[in-house]
Amino acid sequence: MTAVSINRPGEGRGLGKLGQIDWSLVGLLCLIAGAGAVMLYSVGGTSMTPWAGNHILRYTVFLGMTLVLALVDIRVWFALSYPVYVVALLLLVAVEAVGDVRMGAQRWLSLGPFSFQPSEIMKIGIVMALARFYHGVSAEDARWSIKLLIPALMIAVPVGLVAHQPDLGTALLILFTGAAVMFIAGLSWTVIAALGAAGAVAIPLMITFVLHEYQRQRIFTFLKPETDPSGAGYHTLQGKIALGSGGFLGKGLGLGSQSQSDFLPEKHTDFIYASLAEEFGFIGAFGILILYGLAIAAALRIAAQSASHFGRLAATGVTATFGLYVLINAAMIMGLAPVVGIPMPMLSYGGTVMLTVMIGFGLILSVRVHRFTEIGRGAI
Amino acid sequence: MTEPSLNFADVNERQGAFHRRTFILGGLMGAGLTVLGGRLAQLQLLQAEQYKTLSAENQFNLRIITPPRGRILDRHGVELAASRPNFRVLVAKAEKEEFLRTLNQVAQLLPETAARQKQLLRELNKGPDFIPVQVANDLTWDEFARVNVRAPELPGVTADMNEARVYPHGGAFAHVVGYVAKVSDKDVAKARESGEVDPILLHPGFRIGKQGVEKALDADLRGTPGGQSVEVDAKGRPIRINTEGSVEPKPGKDIVLTLDADAQMRAIEMFGPESGAAVVMDTRNGDLLCMASAPSFDPNKFVSGVPGREYKLLNEYERKPLLDKAITGTYAPGSTFKMVTGLAGLRHGVDPKMRVHCSGAFYFGRTFRCHGRHGSQDLHNALRNSCDVYFYTVALRVGPDAIAEVAHELGFGQTFDIGIDGQKKGIVPSTAWKREYFKDHPHPDMRKWWPGETPSYGIGQGALAVNALQLAVYTARLANGRKKLQPRLIKSVGGVERPSGAAFGDLPFPKEHLDRVRAGMAAVTEVGGTGYRNSQLGLGPIKMAGKTGTAQVRNYGSGSRKSNVWRLKDHGLFVAFAPIENPRYAISVIVQHGVGGGLAAAPKAREIMKVVLLKDPEMQKLITQPLSEPIQVAGL
Repeated sequence: MTAVSINRPGEGRGLGKLGQIDWSLVGLLCLIAGAGAVMLYSVGGTSMTPWAGNHILRYTVFLGMTLVLALVDIRVWFALSYPVYVVALLLLVAVEAVGDVRMGAQRWLSLGPFSFQPSEIMKIGIVMALARFYHGVSAEDARWSIKLLIPALMIAVPVGLVAHQPDLGTALLILFTGAAVMFIAGLSWTVIAALGAAGAVAIPLMITFVLHEYQRQRIFTFLKPETDPSGAGYHTLQGKIALGSGGFLGKGLGLGSQSQSDFLPEKHTDFIYASLAEEFGFIGAFGILILYGLAIAAALRIAAQSASHFGRLAATGVTATFGLYVLINAAMIMGLAPVVGIPMPMLSYGGTVMLTVMIGFGLILSVRVHRFTEIGRGAI
Repeated sequence: MTEPSLNFADVNERQGAFHRRTFILGGLMGAGLTVLGGRLAQLQLLQAEQYKTLSAENQFNLRIITPPRGRILDRHGVELAASRPNFRVLVAKAEKEEFLRTLNQVAQLLPETAARQKQLLRELNKGPDFIPVQVANDLTWDEFARVNVRAPELPGVTADMNEARVYPHGGAFAHVVGYVAKVSDKDVAKARESGEVDPILLHPGFRIGKQGVEKALDADLRGTPGGQSVEVDAKGRPIRINTEGSVEPKPGKDIVLTLDADAQMRAIEMFGPESGAAVVMDTRNGDLLCMASAPSFDPNKFVSGVPGREYKLLNEYERKPLLDKAITGTYAPGSTFKMVTGLAGLRHGVDPKMRVHCSGAFYFGRTFRCHGRHGSQDLHNALRNSCDVYFYTVALRVGPDAIAEVAHELGFGQTFDIGIDGQKKGIVPSTAWKREYFKDHPHPDMRKWWPGETPSYGIGQGALAVNALQLAVYTARLANGRKKLQPRLIKSVGGVERPSGAAFGDLPFPKEHLDRVRAGMAAVTEVGGTGYRNSQLGLGPIKMAGKTGTAQVRNYGSGSRKSNVWRLKDHGLFVAFAPIENPRYAISVIVQHGVGGGLAAAPKAREIMKVVLLKDPEMQKLITQPLSEPIQVAGL
C-alpha cells in the first residue's frame, strides 16, 4: 500500500503524538472534574478532606494515565480487544465464586490490599470486543445475519452475570452500551422495532418476576415518591428539594441547607449533582449539562474522523457509556428515573468509575491520535 | 493492512451506515440532555418557590418553650405553690441502636441513668419523633455542668434548665392546693375528647394539675407556650436558633387564695398524727382562711412521680391521707347539729322557756340514752349541757322535714362553688329524701319515715352526713345572722378578684331566734358548759362561742361506748365562732375517732382560732386596748 509511506499524523513516534491529542476534550474533562472537586470541598464541610483532596489527586494521576493510553497505538487496542473481554468475563465468574459481599451485593474482588469491581472492566471490555467483532463484519451481516448471535451472546453473558450480583444499574449500562454499538454498526430497523416490541412485553414481566424486592421498591417509589417520604421515596424527594430550592442563582458555595446537613443521601457520590444544583442554581447545573454535552459531541466527532471501523465503533461505544452515565444520573436526581446506583462521571467521588471513564477517554483519544491509521479487516 | 481484497463499496456502505447511526445516537443523547435541561428549568425556575418552602421546612423546626406556671399564693402573698429551677438532660429520638449508644455515653457522666434504660427505651416509642426524651432530672449543678460541658460532642444530647413545681409548705396544703404530675395517657385522651390536644401536653417534663386548685384552675395556671425556631440537621438535631421565628411564652396567671398559711400550718401542727379536718371561715365575707385535712402527704413527691410502693402505703393507710376530709369525707355531725334542731323548734312554736326533764334516758318505742342526767332543761341549758333528751323531744315535736328545712338553709346537704372539685353533698334526711333514696327497695315500708328515726336526727345522728366545710358555713351563717354566706376559696385569678361570699341573699331567721341559739353556744364555753375547759382563748376580751359534738360511729347496743380500737372510737367535733360579740371568724373541727368533741376537737379549734384572731389587726387592737365597758353577752 502506498498510503503507508505517506507520513500522516499519529504515525510518528513517542511524544510527538502528543500534539495530536484533542486538548479541548481534555480541557472539558478537567473543567468537569474541577467542578466535582469544588462540590466535594463544599459537601465535605468546606474542607479538602475527606473528599476534595483525594478527588483532585486521583484525577491528576488518572489524567496522566489517560494521556499515556492516548499514545498507545490503536492497533494494540485492537489486538487486546478480545483478551480484555475474556479476562473481564473470567473475573466476573470469579466474583461470583469468591467475591466480597458489600451492601448486599457481590461485586468486589480483592487482590491483596486492592479491591475492585470486575463489572467496571467489562464496561470497557464489551465496547472493545464488539468493535473488534464488527470491524470484520460486512455491512450486510451487521444489518441482520446469523453472525449477530455472537455479539448478542457477548452482551448477554456479562449482563446476566452482573445482574446476578445483583447490580441492576451496571447490568443495564452494559446492556445499553452493547445495544448502542450494535445500533451504530448498522442493525436493521426492522430488528430494532421487533426488539423494542419484545422489550415492551418483557420489562413488566421482568419487574414482576425477576427483580429483587428492593429494586421493585425503587421503581414504584420513583413513580410516586410522595407516598413514602421518609422511606424509599426519601432519596427522590430530598434530591428534588435540593435541586428546586437552588433556584436560578443557587444558595452559594457551602450554603446549601440540604447538602450541608444530611438530608441528601450519598451527597458526595450519586447525589453530588443535586448539591451542585442547590448551591450553584440553574446557572451551575445547566452549565455542567452543557459541558457534558460538549464532551460527548467532541468524542463523537473523534469517532466520525476515524479511518478504522474499530476506532469508530470503540470511540462511539465509550461515548455512549459516558452519555448514559450522565443521562441516568441526572434523570434520577431530577425525579425522572428510579434511584439506581449510577454516579455522575468525573463529578462524583469514587475511584472505580473515574478509572473506567478515564480509560475510556484514553481509548477515545487514542482513536483521535491514530485517526488515519487503517486496520486490516482480519486479525492482526 | 496486507489484505488485498478490500471491498471499497462495502467499506463505504459500512461507513455511511455508521455516520447515519452515530448522528441519530448523538441526536438522541442531545435530546436527552435537552429534556434534562428543561426539567432543570421546571424545577429550579418555575417551581423554585415551592421547593424553597420544603427546604425551609426541612431546615427549621419549631420547638415548644413551656411557659412558667402561675404561682398559688395565700391571702398575704405567701407562696403555696411555686416553681424552682430544674436541671435536666434530654436526648433526641433516634434509631434504637444510636439512641442506646447515646444513653451509654450519658451513663458514663450520670451513672444513675443506666438503671432506667428500659424505661427510657419505652419513652423512645412514645409521642412524636421531634420531642426528645428526658433522661435525667433534678440534677445538681455539678452533674448538670458535667453533661453540659460534654454536650457538644454527644450527638443529640441537650442539658437544659426548666422549671419544676415546688410546694414549700409540704403537706399542709396538699388537698386544697393539690399537686401537678406527669401527663398521663388518660389526660391526653381526655384532652382529645374535648377537642384539640395542646401540643405542650406531649412535651417531656410538662406537668398537669391533678388535684385541688392545681387541677381546677390548670388552664389559668398553665399559660401559653412559646415557640423557638431552631435550625436542625436531617436527624433533627439543633444547629442554631433562629431568633426571628421565635415566640415568647406567656406565663400562667398567679392565683391568690383566701387561705392563711399560718392558720393552715397551725391546723396541721395541731392534728399531728390524728385524722380529721379543720375549716375556718370569715363570718363577714365567707373567705376560707383554713381548710386543712390531716394526716396529709407530701405533694412534692408527686411532681416527679411517686413510686408505686409509696403510693400503695398512702392509699391503704387507715387514716386515709389521700382523702380530703374537709370536703370529701362526710361524717355525722352529732351534737354540733343541735342548733338546727333548736331553730326548727323555735320556728314551729316551741317556747324557748319550755322545759324538758332529763332523767338520762328517753323512751320512744325504745330507750334513747343521754350522756348525763340533766334534770329540767330549757333550750339554753340544753345547748350548754348538750342534753340529748331535750332535742329528742323537740325533734319529735317538729318532725324531720322541719329539721331538714333549717339544715338546708344553714348550708347542709349541698355543695358550694369554691372552685375546686371533690365536694360531697352528704345527706340531710327527710321524708322526701327517704322516699327517693329507697324508691327501688323491694320493701315499701323502707320508703316510709318511721317516727322512731326522728329522735336520733334531733341530735345529729342517723343517716345525717355532713362535711367540715358545711359545718363551717353553718357556724358562720349562725354567727353572721343575716347573710346566706357562701364560702370563697379563690380570692383572685391573675389579679381579677372573685365575688365575695356575702353577696348571696339573706337568711330566713328572725334575730331573736338566732340570738337564743348563739347565747346557748356562748354558754357552752363558759363555766359549766361542755366546751369550757378547752375553749378559753386567753385573748383578753375576745371570747369564743361554740358547740361540742361526739358522733357515734356504730350502734353500741347495750355495750360500752368506749373502745380501744381506733376505728371504733367516736368522732369528736367542735364548731365555734369568735368574738362572741360582732363575730369575725367561724371554725369547724372534726377529729376522726377522736372520742369527745370537747376533748379532742375544741383544743385544736382554740389554737387555730387564736392564730387567725391574732393576725387580724382589728382584733389586735381589741386585745391591746383597755376596755371601756364590759362585754354584754347577747340573749339571756
